[in-house]
Formats: sequence, C-alpha cells, structure tokens
Amino acid sequence: MVQVKEEIGPSDDGKKDAFLGIDVGSVSCKFVLIDNDGNVLTHVFLINQGSPIDVVKSGMAKMRIHIEQEEKLQEYAIRGCGTTGSARYLTKAVVGADLAKTEIIAHAVATQSMYPDVRTILEIGGQDSKLILLRDDIVVDFAMNSVCAAGTGSFLDHQATRLGIPIEDFGDYALRAKSPVSIAGRCTVFAESDMIHKQNAGYSKEDIIAGLCNSLVRNYLNNLSKGKDLEEPVVFQGGVSFNKGIVKAFEDHLGCKVTVPRDGLNVLMGALGMAILSREYYLHHEVDTMFRGLDVSEVEFRTTTFHCGDCPNNCEVVQVKIPGAEEDKVIARWGSRCGKWEVF
Amino acid sequence: MLVSFPNMGHSWPAFKALFKPLGVDIVLPDPTNREAVKIGVKHSPEFVCFPFKTTLGDFVNAIEKGADTLVMAIDCGPCRFGFYHAVQERILHDMGYKHIRVIPLDQADLLEFKWVQTILQVSQTKNLLLLPKAINAVILFLKKAKYIADIQTAEGLIRAYERNQGDTTRLVKKLLVQLDETDKLSELRKFRSVITNSFKEIDIDRDRNPLKVALAGEIHVTLEHYVNLDIRRRLGELQVEVHQNLSLYDWVVHKFHLNYHRKWLEYLARPHVPMDIGGECVWVLGEYIDRARAGFNGFIHTYPFTCMPEVTARTIITNKLKKEYDLPAIFFSMDEHSGSEGFRTRIEAFVDLMNARRDQKEKQGDNIKDNLKSKSHSVNGNSFFNEIVQIINTK
Repeated sequence: MVQVKEEIGPSDDGKKDAFLGIDVGSVSCKFVLIDNDGNVLTHVFLINQGSPIDVVKSGMAKMRIHIEQEEKLQEYAIRGCGTTGSARYLTKAVVGADLAKTEIIAHAVATQSMYPDVRTILEIGGQDSKLILLRDDIVVDFAMNSVCAAGTGSFLDHQATRLGIPIEDFGDYALRAKSPVSIAGRCTVFAESDMIHKQNAGYSKEDIIAGLCNSLVRNYLNNLSKGKDLEEPVVFQGGVSFNKGIVKAFEDHLGCKVTVPRDGLNVLMGALGMAILSREYYLHHEVDTMFRGLDVSEVEFRTTTFHCGDCPNNCEVVQVKIPGAEEDKVIARWGSRCGKWEVF
Repeated sequence: MLVSFPNMGHSWPAFKALFKPLGVDIVLPDPTNREAVKIGVKHSPEFVCFPFKTTLGDFVNAIEKGADTLVMAIDCGPCRFGFYHAVQERILHDMGYKHIRVIPLDQADLLEFKWVQTILQVSQTKNLLLLPKAINAVILFLKKAKYIADIQTAEGLIRAYERNQGDTTRLVKKLLVQLDETDKLSELRKFRSVITNSFKEIDIDRDRNPLKVALAGEIHVTLEHYVNLDIRRRLGELQVEVHQNLSLYDWVVHKFHLNYHRKWLEYLARPHVPMDIGGECVWVLGEYIDRARAGFNGFIHTYPFTCMPEVTARTIITNKLKKEYDLPAIFFSMDEHSGSEGFRTRIEAFVDLMNARRDQKEKQGDNIKDNLKSKSHSVNGNSFFNEIVQIINTK
C-alpha cells in the first residue's frame, strides 16, 4: 500500500478523514479517494465524453453511488480535494478543489509513495506522454510530449482498430511474436504505410504488432529521453502500461526491469498523487476545504464565452457561472492572453 | 512618407525615438496579435523562423495603416537573418503592395556606421544640416533603450513580490507610454527616478523568498511577449524572480563593442563554442555558466523553432553543461501554436521542480538562502539593478 509520512489526529465530527484526487486528462477522467493512511478507499474511471464539466459531474455522481453502497465508506468525510490533468483549473473551479498541480508532480508523488527509491517514471497516456527523472527523492528533470501522436496511446488504439483486434488483446499478440518486423517509428503516417506494406507482404499479425510496440518505444525514447540517463528502478504507468507488449519492448530497449503499478493503479497515479498532495495540504493549512461536496453532480454550471475586444488580439474569454437566485456567480474565467480577466 | 518598423516587445519607444527627430512621420503597427501572425504565416515560407513571420505580419498591419517605408534590422552574420529584409520586400511586392520599400538597418557591426546610410535613406536628404538632428536621434534612441532595459529589469524582480496581481504589468504599460512622450533630453535624464519612484509605489510583500530564474535566448522571441506566450508575466505571477540581461540596449551596446558583460560571457563559453555562430548561442551558454555559478535556481531558454544556433546551445547545455553545473534548465521552442495549456503545465512543473530542489538543499544544511541573496544580486548587477534590490530589501 501507499506509504504516507505524518499522522493526523481525529476530527471533531467523529468521521474519519478522506481525501479526493481528480485527474482530468485528454482521454479519460480518474477519481481516487484515500484515507488517512493512504489506503485507496474507492476509485472511479471514466472515458471523457463532451466537456470536462459533464465528465466531472458524472464522476462525482458515480463516486456518491460507490459511497452509498458501501457502509464502510460512510464513516468517512472528504477533508480535501486536489485536481490535476490538462483541465485542472476548470475542474478546480467546478468542484471547489483546494489545489491544482501539474501532472508531473502528481505522478511523481504517487509513484514515490509506492516505490520510494524510483529513479525513472515513464508515463504514456491517451494523448501525451511524459518522462520524469528523480534523484534523491526529488524531480530533477522531466520531458513532455504533447505534439507527436506517434508516441501515445491513441496511435496504438488506431492501429489496433485497423488490424481488427481489440486493444485489450494487443499485448498478448505482441508477446506471441517470434520475430518482430521493423516498422518506422518516427511518424504515424510512415508507421501506417509501413504496416500496410508488411500486412500485404504476409507477415503475421503477431509480428506486426510486436514491431509496432517497438516503434512506439523508439519514438518515445527519441522524443523524450534525448540523452537523459534513464536509471533503474523504472516505473511505467498510464493507460498504455496495461499493454504487455509495450512493457516488454521497454525492457528490451532499456535493458532493465520495468515495474508497472498493480491493481489497476497504473492509470490512477495522477489522481492518487493529488489525493496525497491534498492530504499534505490539509496537514499544513489550518483552513477548511473549499470542496463543494459530492452533490456537485447536481449543481448546474453554465459556460459562456465573450470577446474581450480591448486589444487587437480580441481573445475569446470563457467563463463558468453558477446560476443563482439573484445574480449569476462567476466562479472561473480564462482564455485571455494578457491574464487580466483571470484576476477577480 | 510614413515610416514603420516591426514589433519587438517593449522596444518600440526606442525605435520611434530613432526616426522621429529626423522629421519623418511614423506609424506603429498594432502590438503583435493573432491576426498579424495569421497573415505572416500565410505568406511566409514554411520553414523560416517565427520572427520572420510575425514581423511580416506586423509589416502588413503597418501598411494597412498607411506606412510605405519599412525598416528592418539585418545582420550579415552566420544565420539567414541577413536576408530577411530582401525576402520580405519581395513577398510584400508579390502581395500587391508594390510601392513598399523595406530599408535594411545594418547592425552587424555598428562601428562600421552602415546604419548612417539607413538614417540618410529614411530622412531622404544628404543635407549636412541633418547631422545635429541625427546625432540627437541616436542619443535619444540609446537613452530610451537603456530605460526600457531598466523597466524590464525592475519588472522581472518586482512582479514576484507584488500583492495585487497585475500591478506591475499595468505600471510597465504606463511607463512605456510616458517614456515615449518624453522627448526632451533634460527630462529624459530624470526618467530613471521616475521609474524607481513608480516601482516603489507598488505594494509588495517583502517576506517572500522567490525563486530566481534566468531567462535567455534568441532576442526577438525572448523580448516579444506575444511570441513567448508572456513567459515573464507567467513566471512572475508564480512568484519567481526573472533575471534577464538580454534587451535591445544590451544588444546595441554589444554591437558598439562596449558590452563588457557579453565579452565575459563569451569568455565563459569559449571552451564549448569558440566563436559567434549566430543567434545568441555563445551568450546563452555563457549566461548558463554564469548563472549556475551565482547559485540561481533555474534557467529558461526560449528560441524560435528551426533556429540552428539556439538548438546548438540547447544541445550543449543538456548534454554537457547540465551535468557539470547542475542548474535545472528548460527549453521552449516557439512557433505559431498558441495553445498555452501544455506550456503552462511545463512552466508550473519546472517551478515545482526548482522549489523541491531548493527545499532539499536547505534541509541538507546548505545555507543557500543567504548565499543566494548576496551572490545573485551582485552578479551582472548594474547600478539600477542594485537600486531595485534596495527597494525590495528595505522596509
């Protein structure tokens, strides 16, 4: 289980403390609830559909159902909440989180809590990939790829569809390969034409898939590691880490063992990290949480946009409002280049 | 005749001062914006660097406002910058603006005085009576450029301490307009105290202990806040002190062979790159070493996508200097993309990284705080810099 450092005393209302972490990524949305000792109480995993607000609301609704169904969970009260992912500020405003941090820090914190001596974290998600290097317990370097789709999960998903096999079986196919074919890894366009060529030349699906795994790993290492020293122990997480073929390809390329967090935690690391960070925040700040509660799923949020027009940029400013009795309350605004609308 | 020149961050009052005393009319392009970038990108060769595209966009904007003579700096150095004015003129002619002239302002070596040609061309006279006017223009230009650099220095430091977010940004805008309106030399001499006094009025929280970050890179990208997605403001609002030597003044003085700080940076960089290879490569390397020795918390390098000299600097830093000097560095390659979310994530993560490192060092008993206060403030410290530090330190 997760290791946490300090102890928290009991609270006034007789309930035990729980902390919620939310990770709204480009493809999926993750919720993790932990208790005082860092044990995961429950979690929710959703695929993004529509706006982040809707996903967060339905995630909160699911979370409430989980809690209502299990008596044990009803002893807990949520004392803090943290958000991460590309929609962290929007989510923070919507659920009333106490802090919003980058994915880099959330992943590092979560991984360190499970593997205290970790030195390299590989993370491949749906739309982006990250590399985090830690030395002596702190992040010393990181790299993010958010422009090249060739090194991410969407690429594999797309190719799996093309080959007509479910993405869940992708890894097993790769492991059965006898001699993986070589497939160009620089760009999805080249990879795809290479793949079609190899398919038509009669190579087996297994060998092609293993080749794809290798090409993705090559792309990842070329794009992100760029001369950085990837030292053991290596932890691999994110949605793609479910894929045994990629894990094996990483092990072959790095020449060392690659650990994947167990029990499905590999996709929940960002949310777990935020839960741990909000626990720390709760310990060091004497303020009550701003968390709106799980009932957020029933609050109506309205997003409106307007053009600023004060300078030639004419930025489109987005604002989120809670419709109220007298006046709409603006809870968040963003989108202006100069930042003036973001200050309340 | 209506003269115009492209944007480069806050440098416009200086350029304006260079041409106005010559008795020509000037029109400023709008601050670089989405529309200008769109036009620039549409008409530029795809693989040219981003400053070419934004300046072309600025030119089109200025032409629409009535300009017919455009001034573009050139530098017959090792990179393709030297051809920009000629290519841009051709592109503008192809776009249908046949009457446009793009006059090069040669700044390869200002002591060769080729820029006098530009002044003659712009003022359209060879009359000797021009001479006093031209001298006045150059003096005003240098003075104003120096004050712009000072404003930039103060802004980078003070913003990390401001209590009301946005105060510094508003003040900088106000000061630039004020500087632009000050045309008399006698008033201009007093402008330094105007700057310090207005920065004194900002409500600052002196108890903060902000991180100290050095910013360096290609001059246009590093100075033009639209292109670099306002990196200085973003860092300041995350309560980080931004130290930046690079400015128009810094560059011009260097081109007059009077910038001893740059000579020092060249000396530091010599083991890695023995000569000027274009862009700011040599000085970025020097700056990295200098800042690392002074105990800074981080280093940020911004450059346009496809810029060869800057990529060279980046590679030398990541593969060699970083291992030797252990100063965290992050690199931003700028292009037309304006999706700032990934950018923001990387900046925030970098700030978290620097914070964690500092905390760890403090825990290890390195009394880094006092060390830093004295060291980083004396390094490259000109008298104005020290004055601002005084403002921050005195209660």
